[in-house]
Amino acid sequence: MLSSIESPRWTCALGGALAAAAALPRTIPVMHSGPGCAANFAWTQNGAAGLQVAGRCAGLSFPATNMQEGEIVFGGAERLHEQLRHTLQIMDGDLYFVLTGCIPEVIGDDVESVVSGYAAAGKPVIMASTAGFKGNSYFGYEQVLKAVFQKIVRPGSAAKRNLVNIWGIPPMMDVFWRGNLRGVEELLGLLGFRVNTFFGGQASLPSIANAAAARLNIVLSDVYGVEAAELFRDIHGVDFITSPLPLGAAASDRFLRRIGRRLEVPAKKIETIIQRENKRRYDYLEPIIDVYNDMEAQRYAIVIGDANYACALADFLAEDMGWLPELTVITDVLADDIKAGLLRQREGRSLIPAQKIIFRSGSREILEAAADDWTPSNGRYSKRSQPVFVLGSSLDRNLAQTLGAGHLSVSFPVSNRAVLNRGYTGYGGGLLLMEDVISAFILAR
Amino acid sequence: MNYFGLRVPPRREDRHPGTCLAYGGTLCGSKKGGRGCAMAADAERAFTQGSICPLLPAMGMMASLPDTVVLMHGGVGCGTCLHGTNGNVRAGFAARRGRPADIRWMSTALNEIDVISGGNEKLAQAIKEADAAFEPKAIFTVSGCLPAIIGDDIDAVAAQVQPEVKAKILPVHCEGFKSRFMATAYDAVYHAIGRNLLPSPSPTAVREEKTINIMNVGSMGRVDELELARLVGSLNLHANFFPVFADPDSFAAATQASLSICTCPTHDDYFLQYLQEKYGVPYIIRHMPIGIANTGAWLRDAGAHFGLSDIAESRIKAEEEDLGNALKEFLPLFKGKRVFISAGEFRSLATASLLKELGFEIAGIRSFHYDQFAELELDKLRADGQDFVWNVANVQPFEEANLLKRLKPDLFLGHWHGNNTAARLSIPTHVIYNTGYGYIGYRGVYDLAARLYRKLSNTSFGDRLGAYSQLPYKKSWYSKNPFLFIRSQSGEAIC
Repeated sequence: MLSSIESPRWTCALGGALAAAAALPRTIPVMHSGPGCAANFAWTQNGAAGLQVAGRCAGLSFPATNMQEGEIVFGGAERLHEQLRHTLQIMDGDLYFVLTGCIPEVIGDDVESVVSGYAAAGKPVIMASTAGFKGNSYFGYEQVLKAVFQKIVRPGSAAKRNLVNIWGIPPMMDVFWRGNLRGVEELLGLLGFRVNTFFGGQASLPSIANAAAARLNIVLSDVYGVEAAELFRDIHGVDFITSPLPLGAAASDRFLRRIGRRLEVPAKKIETIIQRENKRRYDYLEPIIDVYNDMEAQRYAIVIGDANYACALADFLAEDMGWLPELTVITDVLADDIKAGLLRQREGRSLIPAQKIIFRSGSREILEAAADDWTPSNGRYSKRSQPVFVLGSSLDRNLAQTLGAGHLSVSFPVSNRAVLNRGYTGYGGGLLLMEDVISAFILAR
Repeated sequence: MNYFGLRVPPRREDRHPGTCLAYGGTLCGSKKGGRGCAMAADAERAFTQGSICPLLPAMGMMASLPDTVVLMHGGVGCGTCLHGTNGNVRAGFAARRGRPADIRWMSTALNEIDVISGGNEKLAQAIKEADAAFEPKAIFTVSGCLPAIIGDDIDAVAAQVQPEVKAKILPVHCEGFKSRFMATAYDAVYHAIGRNLLPSPSPTAVREEKTINIMNVGSMGRVDELELARLVGSLNLHANFFPVFADPDSFAAATQASLSICTCPTHDDYFLQYLQEKYGVPYIIRHMPIGIANTGAWLRDAGAHFGLSDIAESRIKAEEEDLGNALKEFLPLFKGKRVFISAGEFRSLATASLLKELGFEIAGIRSFHYDQFAELELDKLRADGQDFVWNVANVQPFEEANLLKRLKPDLFLGHWHGNNTAARLSIPTHVIYNTGYGYIGYRGVYDLAARLYRKLSNTSFGDRLGAYSQLPYKKSWYSKNPFLFIRSQSGEAIC
């Protein structure tokens, strides 16, 4: 086990929580932390989230206590109290979300009692414990979910047969989070369901408050948001199902069948939808069949991403595009049982003869692992003369260059693309992903 | 006197008493003994928004040095700002070394167990890993807030591990909570460089008679360096650039130059005093070469030191004539337009002088801090008697939003990540530094003018943005005193 991580492809709990809280409707995050955390996250997102930074509040507009030496010596609760009082005076929000950084949690500030005082007075103030040393940005996202499920979601709402909740797509850590949430919402809409997405433009605080009325919680991740789903089930009695990100057509087919069955949608209806959506997709593909085949667009591929993206992208390449994603690298630092679970799910699922899944975090380790098998050979007869494509983050450009491979940034960090409403989930998302992947290697055409 | 014998450098506020972080009033009112509000060194705010701590600029400096690794000792979030810096560094390497390269940095990613049992051992291991992985010339081991609170000793770890690693280990103390002033970052990095990358003074050391150390800053691109090299080159002087993007081995050459000259007067005094005391390299800390008069003053200073005043004067005259002719086409569009500026202390003030030269009127200035180095620059702006709003703030856009609603400027120039507020108010904005663009010297004046001309020629993006995007403040805030929350530690409001 290494004592260091090279260029981590995530930030700390506070950073993930900040991105999530800022993505909640009309919510003002309030950081109780050191003086540089805000700028650190703004700069992080600047270079990692497809040009997106913050949201309704700009990156440096979040209220923040900016703790100094005095607070470390005497405690920061009083400063937080003052900060909250003034925040409520001037910041325009319907929810104020206090997030703690490393400093208050090491020095033992009783943030909970400050926050509960405001809540008791009827002010919409909640908190999540998000010290950087407690976990990474995915953990921070999960802490925000838990706080929302405990404090905002009202217990005992009357069940609605056509309502489901989705989460598991962490804002900013999934750079395409807005488009991906919308893509899944559209898929579920095909089955006749309304969807609570919690985050992004389509969400509202009243609909979040009503989330306990849902029939099912769908976690679009095998890792992130699962604990929160257990908590939701324990508090509100709504069961959950986990699902890989449905990127593109084949994954969407599977998603609709599996979720549809679970929600008792008649199989015939599901198949009709799948037929119709695939037909639509192939209408778009028909005009590029000539060029796609003639240009020999099929590639071997190395796919690098977090636990949500890596395997889902590899599946997309293998199924929708007919490529050979022989190496998949999952970049998160995960517990052994979670790793084993992810691998178990893949058993017997590989479409292609050789598919290797490995866990590596640092760019250099990834390059070493890939170079073993993929460095172009100088020999006259080598399978390695076949084209390779790297689908990963912007930190994998060096790998692509080393291998003479094409490259597209999809997983965090994405520094070299602008992402607005783009998403890769669903049938339409798959078309966009195919456009982007192909466009990435025909730039010089 | 210098502090390089100490393990930990002093804070800016201790080294320069009077350094101030919160002031709201007018420029002329800020003058000691003048009318209006007094500046108070202990002023602070009872409401604050996210700010920038010394770690951020320090990381930017360190990450630019080739053949080094930045090893962040802290929580896994500290230092991820380097994702945002990476683009600058890639471009910087491409401009200086022919091809882009990603920043090499690592984190000890302290967890709950480390917080309880201490992170020294982990840091020691991580240093060895960084050395083995990259074989760098130097490893910056940077302490964030956490190690300082839990009592890790990065200096002791460095000393203990040094015999086992090839790279030089440079401990850097950059705990965000320790100083309210970002400028402490520069001292922290220089402290590590001065203690580790400079040779022992030698009486036989060669003095390069025509060589000048030009102290660059992280916000300066290669295009700006080339402009300064061109200007001093016209006096037949050769320029070394330090510290940003300088090879660790090259710092030794800084001790052999005949002069050091800074480009941002709040940036370098810690290091330049040391170079003078220990190696006999005199220095000039006075002007920032942004703006026509400022560039001339900067070049005049350099020329005078080498007895080249006459050549400098004739150069300046020729340059100003050339530039003046080139600027003519832009000036009618700029005439009388009111501009608001918000940025680092010196950058904000020097850029204001430049914009006045282009015919803009100053509606207001926000500076991220104030210290003694700014007085000369402030006096330049005060000289014509025109007064305007001056606000000292480490970002704090709520004050800015209030001011902009009142002042309604025609143009806004702001720091990186500091233009959002103005943009949502449909005020045309331009970033006050972006390392790909020219800002410095005569060329910088022209380039900036050309960009502003372009910007003001179509403001549709911002116009439409303002119609649909709202700032996150209650309406009532805009009718309050923008400086309502500034107070001195004695509890009294300053304004």
